Amino acid sequence: MALRDRYYEHQRPILGTVSVIGFFLLWEWQLTSVVTVDPFFLTQPSKIAAAAKELFLGGAIWQDLAVSSKAFLWGFSAAIIVGIPTGVFMGWRRRAEYTLDPFFTALYASPLVALAPLLIIIFGVGLTGKVVLVFLLAVFPFIFNAFAGVKSTDRLLVNVVRSFGGKEKDIYWKVILPSILPYMVAGARIAIGRGIVGIIVGEFYAASEGIGFAISRFGDTYRLPEMFATILVLMILAVVFTEGLRKLENVLAPWKIGQEAR
Amino acid sequence: MVPCIQASDVTLTFRPKDREAVTAINGLTLEVARGEFVSIVGPSGCGKSTFLNVLLGLLKPDRGEIQLNGKRISGPGEDRAMVFQEFGLLPWRTVLANVELGLELKGVAADTRRKRARELIELVGLTAFENHYPHELSGGMKQRVGLARALVTEPEVLLMDEPFAALDAQTRDLMQTELLQIWDRAKKTVIFVTHSIEEAAYLSDRVVIMSARPGRIKEVLRIDLPRPREYEMRLSPGFNEIKSRIWSTLKEELVTRIGGDGAQR
Repeated sequence: MALRDRYYEHQRPILGTVSVIGFFLLWEWQLTSVVTVDPFFLTQPSKIAAAAKELFLGGAIWQDLAVSSKAFLWGFSAAIIVGIPTGVFMGWRRRAEYTLDPFFTALYASPLVALAPLLIIIFGVGLTGKVVLVFLLAVFPFIFNAFAGVKSTDRLLVNVVRSFGGKEKDIYWKVILPSILPYMVAGARIAIGRGIVGIIVGEFYAASEGIGFAISRFGDTYRLPEMFATILVLMILAVVFTEGLRKLENVLAPWKIGQEAR
Repeated sequence: MVPCIQASDVTLTFRPKDREAVTAINGLTLEVARGEFVSIVGPSGCGKSTFLNVLLGLLKPDRGEIQLNGKRISGPGEDRAMVFQEFGLLPWRTVLANVELGLELKGVAADTRRKRARELIELVGLTAFENHYPHELSGGMKQRVGLARALVTEPEVLLMDEPFAALDAQTRDLMQTELLQIWDRAKKTVIFVTHSIEEAAYLSDRVVIMSARPGRIKEVLRIDLPRPREYEMRLSPGFNEIKSRIWSTLKEELVTRIGGDGAQR
């Protein structure tokens, strides 16, 4: 009985772990026995693991990660710095909303990665083009989430601050910014995914190093275990970032935890 | 002597886009003495809260004006503070930081305002909760924070917009008695908007009964019950008589309003 109780207590992590391990076991075992897909295309977790070990120990992947991270961080930071004030401004000033909304909605909805070739033409192969691509992809989640956050700001709280003599500046700092903080974290989670797409696509098109370049090079040379290993690293990084943001939200916005629990 | 509050011919019409204009208050004239406790009752939508917001300085009347100590109200000021029906606490701030808000906006130094806020938190009995967030508090506790926050800037006039409407009946009774004690000590002028006849009769020196929209004053009733008032006083025949007098005046307005609504359909 005690064992069963303990199981129910930790049902979520137990089932999650079992399903992931089971997935890899199935992959490993099925390909060699049942399924007739050429194992060359899908390779096997054991081979991917060996390739990953080689990549990390050999050091090749660190250089690629460093190159891609640099472009990502620049583009992402720019997206935050531009996106949040733009969204707040749009949310607080109706004229700004009406003027800017058509462009931003169209751009957010379109597959901006299609601009990659153009950006490479304009900025050349290298850091700048990738930074611009990451920025373009990551900025809209910040704009629209900041905008939605401002729109959902409690008018009562704005009136409270006004009634105590608060000025426009106080309303921004003491009401709007704290209100939109959880929206920003949600926006950042979306933006990370889009930003990573920007990096990879940018490096597919024209690059001589970086994670995207590594993936495309391994693919071109039929080194599929290495290719999968690199993709896996990307997946893990993306999960770590988005989960880290969730934790960060709990630290930055402790009042939200209680509100959601109710 | 100049009255503390002098409202003369206050008229305010809301003109929302793509909807009919609504005259919320029409020619409201009222004088309130320093230290007086005045309640305003009236049918829903009679402009009670609108009047409070004009007093607070968040709304400007189309006609007429309100003077405070002989000076025309043109915006928010530290001589007034409001206790809001839905509390209006900043959810990302602890009790202490919420109470400090008014002083912070005035630019008072951090240690001074902390000390002052702690005094008020003690006054409303929440010292053990100063580091709690609003979502961790009960409704009654939240409104104590609201009260402490309003008192911390030492306003001369306390505006209360149905402050206890969101509380359960027992908490409400308790808060009324505590409010009277605090008022007795702090000697503020209080304008108290409520739907509850009993609450108005129990707390006030005078009860202002407003007509249905557009709101104007229908009757002002002086409540000559001795102070301090204990809870038990509500059981006395005199108290019940006052309640029924307020009710009979108010009832005509409720009937008018319902009749009016019916005629429109």
